Amino acid sequence: MKTYDVIIIGAGSIGLPLSWNLARKGYKVAVLDHEASWGRGQNRAAIGGIRATHSDPAKIKICLESIKIVSSMKATYGLDLEWRQQGYLYVAFDQDTKTSFLSLLKVQKAAGLDIDWIGPERVLELAPGLKREGLLGGTFSPGDGFASPLNTATAFHKLAMDSKVDFFFNNRVEAIDIRGERIQSIKAAGQTWSAALYVNAAGAEASELASLAGLTIPVHPDCHEAGVTEPVQRFLEPMVVDILPDAESGNYYFYQAETGQLVFCITPRPQIWGRDKDSTSGFLPLCLRRMLELYPRLRNLRVRRTWRGMYPMTPDGLPLLGYLDGAQNFLHAVGMCGQGFMMGPGLGKILADSIDAGGCAQNPAGSTEYSLIFKDLACFRTFEHSEFLR
Amino acid sequence: MPRIDSHPILKLPEGRKLVNFFFNGEPVEGYEGEVISSALMALGKSTFSYHPKDGAPQGLFCANGQCSQCTVLIDGIPQKSCLTPLAEGMDVRSLRGLASLPAADEGLKQAERRALHTDILVIGGGPAGLSAAYELGKMGFQVVVADDKDRLGGKLVLQTHKFFGSEKDCYAGVRGIDIALKLEKKLKKLPTVTILKNSPVVGIFKDRKAGIYKDYDSYLLVEFTALVVASGAREKNLLFPGNDLPGVLGAGAFQTLVNRDLVAASKRILVLGSGNVGLIAAYHALQAGMQVVGIVEIMGKINGYKVHADKIRRMGVPIHLNTTILKAEGAALAGSLESGADIRLCRVLTAKVDDRFKPMPNTLLCYEVDTLLIAAGLAPCDEFLRQAQSYGILAIAAGDAEEIAEASSAMFGGKIAAYNLARMLGKKQELEPSWLSTKDILKSKPGESFSRSPLAPQAEWRPVFFCSEEIPCNPCATVCPVSAISLRSIRGTIMDLPYFSGHTCIGCFSCVAICPGLAISLVRKLSDTSAEVVLPWEFSVDFPDGQLMELVGQEGEYIETAPVIGRRKNPKNNTWLLHFKTSLNNASRIAGIRVQAEEVSRPLVSKPYQDSSTDENDPIVCRCERVRLAEIVAFIKENHVRDINQLKTLRVGMGACGGKTCSQLLDKAFLLAGVDPAEVEPGSLRPLFMEMPIGEIVNEGLSRIGGKNAGARGAP
Repeated sequence: MKTYDVIIIGAGSIGLPLSWNLARKGYKVAVLDHEASWGRGQNRAAIGGIRATHSDPAKIKICLESIKIVSSMKATYGLDLEWRQQGYLYVAFDQDTKTSFLSLLKVQKAAGLDIDWIGPERVLELAPGLKREGLLGGTFSPGDGFASPLNTATAFHKLAMDSKVDFFFNNRVEAIDIRGERIQSIKAAGQTWSAALYVNAAGAEASELASLAGLTIPVHPDCHEAGVTEPVQRFLEPMVVDILPDAESGNYYFYQAETGQLVFCITPRPQIWGRDKDSTSGFLPLCLRRMLELYPRLRNLRVRRTWRGMYPMTPDGLPLLGYLDGAQNFLHAVGMCGQGFMMGPGLGKILADSIDAGGCAQNPAGSTEYSLIFKDLACFRTFEHSEFLR
Repeated sequence: MPRIDSHPILKLPEGRKLVNFFFNGEPVEGYEGEVISSALMALGKSTFSYHPKDGAPQGLFCANGQCSQCTVLIDGIPQKSCLTPLAEGMDVRSLRGLASLPAADEGLKQAERRALHTDILVIGGGPAGLSAAYELGKMGFQVVVADDKDRLGGKLVLQTHKFFGSEKDCYAGVRGIDIALKLEKKLKKLPTVTILKNSPVVGIFKDRKAGIYKDYDSYLLVEFTALVVASGAREKNLLFPGNDLPGVLGAGAFQTLVNRDLVAASKRILVLGSGNVGLIAAYHALQAGMQVVGIVEIMGKINGYKVHADKIRRMGVPIHLNTTILKAEGAALAGSLESGADIRLCRVLTAKVDDRFKPMPNTLLCYEVDTLLIAAGLAPCDEFLRQAQSYGILAIAAGDAEEIAEASSAMFGGKIAAYNLARMLGKKQELEPSWLSTKDILKSKPGESFSRSPLAPQAEWRPVFFCSEEIPCNPCATVCPVSAISLRSIRGTIMDLPYFSGHTCIGCFSCVAICPGLAISLVRKLSDTSAEVVLPWEFSVDFPDGQLMELVGQEGEYIETAPVIGRRKNPKNNTWLLHFKTSLNNASRIAGIRVQAEEVSRPLVSKPYQDSSTDENDPIVCRCERVRLAEIVAFIKENHVRDINQLKTLRVGMGACGGKTCSQLLDKAFLLAGVDPAEVEPGSLRPLFMEMPIGEIVNEGLSRIGGKNAGARGAP
């Protein structure tokens, strides 16, 4: 039997920073993942955006924390995440979108987000070459940014290893032994593992993992495709987001990474449920057509590669945090709805702080500092509201 | 100008149009339609661009659209120069740093999705793909063949030498360049087959569609039922300091430059690797008038056919076994500017290795060469196969994409793949059982070697064979009109060696002319002291009768100097036959003619070599992103890497080529880090296979690059 203080299942966006934060506090931590190495689930499929521009205050708070951590990584630990803090630009070409953005500003500002409405001229300054015709303006949140998911996962893995976290790859959890509302042990790769606390950070496979403990968690992945171009000299600073849907797609977004490459992604309409990560022929013609309509100058940019990943969705588009009845030492940090990469760094710290402060089943925060987050995102909530900026 | 203006084998194109273009602002000339890399090499340029990461000189490396090291700015847009045809007025510039995106801000006018349906998509129009397409088309399947070049035949179009194999099965004795035309002609007669030249497949998608970069200016999605992957092979690369210098080329790249594009941009060459590719490339270099200082081979024996190796040695090119390359060094070419130096390979250091392949002290040699050909073997281009299989798409490989072998075997592989695929698609097709064995024989490694008893010249002509190692080849036996040559029946296949059967030889010289190894002479006694020897000759015949030539034995050992007393050309094989008057005693030992003086292959006295740990002595692994070996090894150790995908953090494999060039080198890095490569998770496969502009993917229909101002595609 292998015994730890905390066993985290999932070496991804959430598991990596959480393991490091816990180990730093002196916990003996193991991370199990069925993939061959770290960040190989959906982390690797993330396009790299880290924004606090959400419509939900809890998410805003988590991501503000993420931004704080990510932006200090280079100075504090000498780890280059290719972080660029150049903001998110949500563009509006119709009155309805503009109205929605403006009404969100109040909630966002109240939660501490630096964001404002900017006019067309300022939009074009930030994104030279963007279509001027019909442009009403947009919201700009300069504190947001983007980093390389590759570098970020590798950095957290390195920090965790240096803090003596044990990683076990190619290790799939096969059974969970649950008695008296507590997990007694788990079985993975033919071995038995036990810990005081188990964390479900299994991303797109969160439901399957929870079901081994007899729990039901409403996380259902859908698929999104993304792509990256060749690098060119900088011409674009912020992440550009167009939320206006058309017949075949929802929002789409793109940014120019630190390397000079354009990274892009689109939300298919209708949603494509499932776990298929194989690339489809429809993505490029669809996404690129919409990008060219918005930004004709991209026509000469060469696409280098595409990939497909999953958004582990919840009914209301918000993550699931905390405990469920029936397993008091099984903490869930799942259902990130495609935002695990941007929430992971902040959430890793917040969860570790809460665990360390003696967070218990009904009040995992242990203190009031994060109580809003744990209340709003509790796994046992009823999913009545849906987030506007998904 | 390093243009080939006469060639013993190749037909030089007529009526090519010279056009004016600019290189870094300087007005220059090249041929319309030739690829820009060849035009630049013909102008004596070696460094095309400077890498954005460290300013390292970048030039031609693969000449095959695979590696992207030859990228230049063409009318303001970065393009692979080896794929872009030259047009009048083009503004070609070295890329320094990242390119800037032209402000082509005219709004999108149209977007179009183009699609085509077919039963079978054949990727690659080389010997395997063309053979497969022909068989499938004949069976009634709708077939689309997509090939990335403007000429079908794959690497056949680079092969100026005559083919091995059997005449009946695979055009043995015919030159590769001519086989390509025969295959294409056959295929064009089939109404079921659509050929897309100049149209690389850039991606295979889950929904059984392939994205095709049609004519390099639009995007076509081909929906198919099944796939034949006949995408050939790519050249393996090697790790040594300086492996990234302009002037270090793949042997295939060199053949492209010389045999396809008729540009002889090398004066002195060293070849690394003694497989057939290296041996043949050395021969092609000699035919193009270059000096070949030698062939180095790290193993203790020659890797290719003995007939190829002997042929090269007879020409005067030494083969150095148990020898490795320590380092390649470059220098700025005279007259080039400090700010934009034209840097090229100038020196190669070699050393003998011990039985553990470690270089031995005091064995250093230095060769002054401007070109180093890497002929370290081939690796299958099987990405599309693996991608399709991982998507659950019916796909079959043929040719080098299935298994590296000779083109003759690939033609059979294509036919066999076609029948296998047809059966999988439910068509009742019986495969000719002999095909399987023929394919196996054609791809056979050399068998045993035999010594032959010496022959005493008689008054009648007699063939003498310098073919002592079993290889799959028989054209000498089938071409003889009087059955004076037969294969002895030990194996009962074309692997058997040819012998004089005893029938009267009529002296038609057909066997001499057809032998791909130039390993047959005809001999007859003239007097008690003299004899006449007839030898094949695939070089210029620009000399008078009576010319004295150095005649050599089977492996190149000097025998005597004798005069040419006559010549004739065998038109069928486009080979000259030279008649010599020699001494009677030597006549039947004379196997060939030395073409290169011994001094050519002499090394310089080496300067002392210091193995230091500077960047310069750390080989480049990932060319696109310029990641060096030591950096990768350190990263593997530091992060406990057991997954190739994690090396992407260092940007290994994240460049334009998508890991095509470096992936086979990564095992070495893991080994050096103390990790068994078998434990390492392989890299994931993703489209696209080749970069493609956004405007062309959506088919907005703007004119493609080329000519004045075309760079601002879509600009008002």
